[in-house]
Amino acid sequence: MSEPAPHHPAAKPASGGDTEAALRDSLKRCSSATVEAALAYRRRRDPDLLPSIIIGIVERYVESDLRAKLVEGDDDVRLMEDLGVDSLTMMEIVMLVEEVVGMQINNDELRDLRTLGDVKTFIDCKARGLPLPKPSKFLPIEGIVAVMPISPPFLFLNEARVGSTGATAKYRITGQEFFLQGHFKDNPVMPASMMLEALGQLGVLYLLEGHPPADPGKMVGPGTIFFTSCEGVRCHRVCKPGDVLTLGIKPKRTKMPLATFEGSIRVGQEKAVVAEEITLTYGYIELPQAQPAVGETANGGAVNEPIPFKPAVNG
Amino acid sequence: MPKVFITGVGFITSIGNDAAAVGDSLRVLRHGIVRYPPFDKPEVPVKVAAPVREFQTDAEDPEDWTLPTRYRVRREVLRSMGPGSLYAWCAMQQAVADAKLAEVDVSDDGTGLYAASAGSPGILTRHVNRMHEQGVMRCPPLGIVASIAGTVQFNLVAHFKIKGASTGFSSACASSSHAAGFAFDEIALGRQRRMFVVGAEDGNVETILPFAGMRALSLNPDPDTASRPFDVARDGFVGTGGATVLVLESEDEVRRRGVTPYCEIAGWGQASDGHNVAISHPEGAGLAAAMCRALVAARVTAADLDHINAHATSTPIGDISECKALHAVLGAEAGRVAVSSTKALTGHGLSLAGAMETGFCALALRNGFIPGSAHIRQLDPAAAGLNIPRETRPIAPRVVLNNSSGFGGANVCLVLKRA
Repeated sequence: MSEPAPHHPAAKPASGGDTEAALRDSLKRCSSATVEAALAYRRRRDPDLLPSIIIGIVERYVESDLRAKLVEGDDDVRLMEDLGVDSLTMMEIVMLVEEVVGMQINNDELRDLRTLGDVKTFIDCKARGLPLPKPSKFLPIEGIVAVMPISPPFLFLNEARVGSTGATAKYRITGQEFFLQGHFKDNPVMPASMMLEALGQLGVLYLLEGHPPADPGKMVGPGTIFFTSCEGVRCHRVCKPGDVLTLGIKPKRTKMPLATFEGSIRVGQEKAVVAEEITLTYGYIELPQAQPAVGETANGGAVNEPIPFKPAVNG
Repeated sequence: MPKVFITGVGFITSIGNDAAAVGDSLRVLRHGIVRYPPFDKPEVPVKVAAPVREFQTDAEDPEDWTLPTRYRVRREVLRSMGPGSLYAWCAMQQAVADAKLAEVDVSDDGTGLYAASAGSPGILTRHVNRMHEQGVMRCPPLGIVASIAGTVQFNLVAHFKIKGASTGFSSACASSSHAAGFAFDEIALGRQRRMFVVGAEDGNVETILPFAGMRALSLNPDPDTASRPFDVARDGFVGTGGATVLVLESEDEVRRRGVTPYCEIAGWGQASDGHNVAISHPEGAGLAAAMCRALVAARVTAADLDHINAHATSTPIGDISECKALHAVLGAEAGRVAVSSTKALTGHGLSLAGAMETGFCALALRNGFIPGSAHIRQLDPAAAGLNIPRETRPIAPRVVLNNSSGFGGANVCLVLKRA
């Protein structure tokens, strides 16, 4: 070694890490497409190359029997639940991404990366120097009930995660839903209309929790949101008591008074419902005086308090 | 106190990777020592070692390691392991199957695991070098778990979902005998119904070659004679690695599950030399005291013993100390009780030795033989008067003593009885 390497945390890769041979060695278990994309990124710094590099690196750390999910799945594929990527594996992925892409990622930036889409968005923002998206927020049932204008027995969300780019939720069909007594006779099946209702409810939650108005003195009024229309609805799977519905919506257009989402419901990895468009109407109301302005809650609110990313290790 | 039995064994060793192969090697005295390629350099005076077969774990990256196809290990399991932990993970699977244990038996409140290894000095070295060269945050997150001395129990306890007592023992070459002794206590005191006892060592350049500096290794390049305990021309030990797992169970559990044990562990004893950090007591005082305590604990006398599996590592000083200790304990029985060292076949397993040789004794007790002491051409005069068989004898022993001694003058002896 000609000179001592720097010893401070997250040091740049040692000089050897910059050579093509070193990069190829670091990526030796990745596909050749990944290696070529990484080499091209080193030359051109083109952020459009990043998604294939990221997926290629994640794939290298995913057990071979789970890789199909990565290839077939979309951005909603979950790192932990679907791909078996725990917090320690995530650190291995981050170290290799840092080395290959030449960026530094802090531990506390990782805590909200739950899906492949989260990772891609995060790296893309870092590479382009854009501000990172607001972290998604987890709402347990109590949090959902507190903000929604809908309540049991007509609430079909058990828990939800709301971010700036969309929302996901889970609902377990218990068999105790009142309408299952008649739908159908002696054969309880979740009605397609109720599945759409559940997606609509997730849209409502997104408007209330994930869609800050441009005017900081206003908020979306819970009493102003109503269903307007839906298009391109297809049901693929019968859903019965015991099934856990995984709901997802993404805003396609949001311009007061209309918000249009695409929505989907899965049971495990099986597609259950797809809705190309669900449109809600909504309106703004004045923020109540007692409540601090939105900008202040973002900094001081307990819900978004950063929890430092730490793998759960002891010893 | 409830009786304690050995009901299952698993071996990854230089003389076989399962109980059947190990038993065959012990019967025909087939050794596992070879000219070891990593030592094939002019600057390395040591030429032989007893590496495990079918595994290739020399590569820096564990994902480049190869293992027999009957074992499949996931990357997320492998990443926290050194070679010794991998061997132990394989031996554990054998032991669980051999003892006919179901998953619920392995992972219950009444089942614990004690282990012994020196960790993975090779992996530790590479990680520390990487930390200095590439930066603190560029080290593999599980580098510590994979390399420090407790790595074997960290991995096995987690991967086999052990819920009872777990810890590691660090008394060098007496370590896994300590693990077996204290595991016996856990069951005898009624704290656990079942204990896994694990000994493991990487058995590579980094675990073996440092012993060359203390002049403890044999410089004899001939694999057929390099390890020859009790021979007058012995010149040091031969290093080995691998893993052994023993399943210890209470008599209630043996009865409840209806399994046939290999043997009973009747008791154990330990004593220390209080003499030198690395050199055996010249009269073998600590070892003799440990043997006596083990016999008392097991309620037997020298007259009951049929066989002693000696610690004898083939070092000039250590073997003489043990001979003196054996004479002191055996007295008039010295000419009758068979004494042999299986280290002539395996070399010295360090932290692995105690568990591995207890496993050998278990095979001998169940299958009715006394292993011979191989490679003796001319007996050391210090061993005169001892009954050291040169070939394996088809005699079924009833009571067997297994000796282990470690750095710091730690001595541990286990008494095993035919079940």
